[in-house]
Amino acid sequence: MLNRRNLLMLGAAAAALSLAAPASAEDKPFNGVQISVLLEGHPTTDAIQKMVPEFKEKTGIDVAIEVVPEADITAKELLEFSSKSGRYDVVQNNIIYLPGFVKSGYIVPLDDFLAKHKENFDKADFVPGYFNTNVLDGKVYGLPVYGESTFVMYRKDLFEQYGLAAPKSFEDIENAAKTISAKTNKQIAGITMRGQQGIQSVYVWAAYLWGFGGSFFDASGKSALATPEGIAALDAFTKVLKDYGPVGVANFGWEENRLLFQQGKAAITLDATVNGAYNEDPAVSTVVGKVGYVPVPMKSASPKGGSSSLAVHSMYVSAESKNQEAAALFAAWATAKEQQLKSIETDPNSGVTSLSALNSDSFGKRYGAFKEGMIAAINAGNPQYLPTVEQANEIINNTGIAVSKALAGTASAADALKEADEANNAALAR
Amino acid sequence: MRPVAAASDPTRHFFQPIIVCLTVASVALTLFVIWISLHDLSLMRAGREKFVGLDNYIRFLGDPRAMAALWRTVLFTVLATAIEIALGLAVVLFLDRDFAMKRLVRTLLLVPIIMTPVVVGLTWRFLFDPATGMANYLLSLVGIAQVDWLGSPRIALFSVLVADIWQWTPFVILLVMAALESAPTDPLNAARVDGAREWQVTWYVLLPMLRRALAIVALIRAIDSIKAFDLFYIMTRGGPALSTETLNYYGYIVAFTNFDISYALAIAIILTVFTNVALLTMYSVLFPKTGDR
Repeated sequence: MLNRRNLLMLGAAAAALSLAAPASAEDKPFNGVQISVLLEGHPTTDAIQKMVPEFKEKTGIDVAIEVVPEADITAKELLEFSSKSGRYDVVQNNIIYLPGFVKSGYIVPLDDFLAKHKENFDKADFVPGYFNTNVLDGKVYGLPVYGESTFVMYRKDLFEQYGLAAPKSFEDIENAAKTISAKTNKQIAGITMRGQQGIQSVYVWAAYLWGFGGSFFDASGKSALATPEGIAALDAFTKVLKDYGPVGVANFGWEENRLLFQQGKAAITLDATVNGAYNEDPAVSTVVGKVGYVPVPMKSASPKGGSSSLAVHSMYVSAESKNQEAAALFAAWATAKEQQLKSIETDPNSGVTSLSALNSDSFGKRYGAFKEGMIAAINAGNPQYLPTVEQANEIINNTGIAVSKALAGTASAADALKEADEANNAALAR
Repeated sequence: MRPVAAASDPTRHFFQPIIVCLTVASVALTLFVIWISLHDLSLMRAGREKFVGLDNYIRFLGDPRAMAALWRTVLFTVLATAIEIALGLAVVLFLDRDFAMKRLVRTLLLVPIIMTPVVVGLTWRFLFDPATGMANYLLSLVGIAQVDWLGSPRIALFSVLVADIWQWTPFVILLVMAALESAPTDPLNAARVDGAREWQVTWYVLLPMLRRALAIVALIRAIDSIKAFDLFYIMTRGGPALSTETLNYYGYIVAFTNFDISYALAIAIILTVFTNVALLTMYSVLFPKTGDR
């Protein structure tokens, strides 16, 4: 029942609200806005979560962050996007999905929002390679949260012991792997790499593919893995792993591979630059200070692209978001240099995308052992390292089966890649 | 069959509406799934869906990867069910005597069932780790070289099978033991008095009494094995070289890696039809009409 007393109280409350509102509305136009953000489980995300109260303080925007493993995030996003639920205002993902997201109208360009909020957005401060992958048809669709590349890690102490020089070519790698595996009677694996079917092995094998002068597609956009370069790349990759790799390598993912190398049980590995942070962490590694870092070799004189990956994960704003401006503001704030600098202090985040964070003292102090190798790898990074077409996932999946078959010896490299080409072209035609 | 006087049964006011709701829901969902499987719907190609008729089903028949996955599903289901039933029965017969700590043993047997499949998968993944795993360590004690449990396409499926057997044999034991304890002991004693040997008592008297229980357990395990997913996902992700990709896992890949929703649903429907036919066949063999009370 609404009697007179209640009515009076309501009136008083409304008056109080209307008095209070203008004061904060001027400096915090987003007061009371709530946005929902979907992020990957990653050191960067941990750091952002710690800083979110500052964002609320600054803008008045309430941020609800949900974190899921990277492996599950794409499916989750696509289900929300395609049902037009508007469940998330900001989402994070690998840039290989960007073309598909844009073409399906799932995400919006950010240029206008960024122009409005210059205080949080400094384009010149992003690593150019990381930022440019987010631009499609001249429009900025994402802001890079973290990035990484691939490089070769080798045990300096073992190389010295057996009179080997730092590996500069794929032959050097094979030769060193052979020598150390033989000299240690296979007690130490010559080389370890990810061999697990799917994105795991494809991510690493792509270094061989591009390094040997191959690529995923030919000039007309058809799948072209079964070229002489591609076949040679797969042969070389499977040969070193089969002959000088650890037992069980065909089922190694990132974790198994990283652990084996960290425990000093392998002489060489080719993997993401983020592994450097683990190798140099005394809490988890027995090889601190013993590891050398060099770029991925190039065999071909006329490569179609670099052999180092450029893996970039960005934040995008959903087309179904009701608070697109607030969402873009959050993405810009979370990727701004101030936040990236802080993230190095609070979490093992070596994947910063800001140049000033990359060149900061704290970065040098924490990751100095591999900083040079990492920056060299990023500068040579190839944004087409993994296919970036709409069907990227399916193509990676098919390619992974080919790598797995060749590694398991159930098909020759040529046959396996031919099969992958057929499957990829069928996917591209759909 | 038990006579059911539904018309006079007052509880019908509770169960009938529920049955109607569930029926409507499942029929509607099934029809929706079939409808989508007749389209070309991909999450990465929003706004470009089109009706394609039976294309997805025709594509399935010409998809060697799907056929291999179907065969692997059959192999895994048959092996898992048969071994779990045989092993479970053997353990029950062994435990069917009084000994100290019987209750403790029975409790310990339940541990694998209680564990979530993800934990079971991770545990076995570590046990099967070729370099640091327990399995190869035990083999090395008897001088056998390292076995590549999950990395060899010839062995990987059987390694997953071992984990499945470890987790679900106790379930068989539990159900069969319950059936055994509620079974009358008079016929067994009568047989013994008549001079039957112990194996004859087991084979001719005990096992026929357990037949129904075993058949039901076998059905439940077969359904679960066809649907098995967690262990494959955690232990091998369908690899190496597709050697552990079952039809259920392939459907998952098509839906959530390739985002090809229509084809994934077509696979799901084919798997459902296939499962139902197989189970109905199994049911009619295990429970023949004649002789069934």
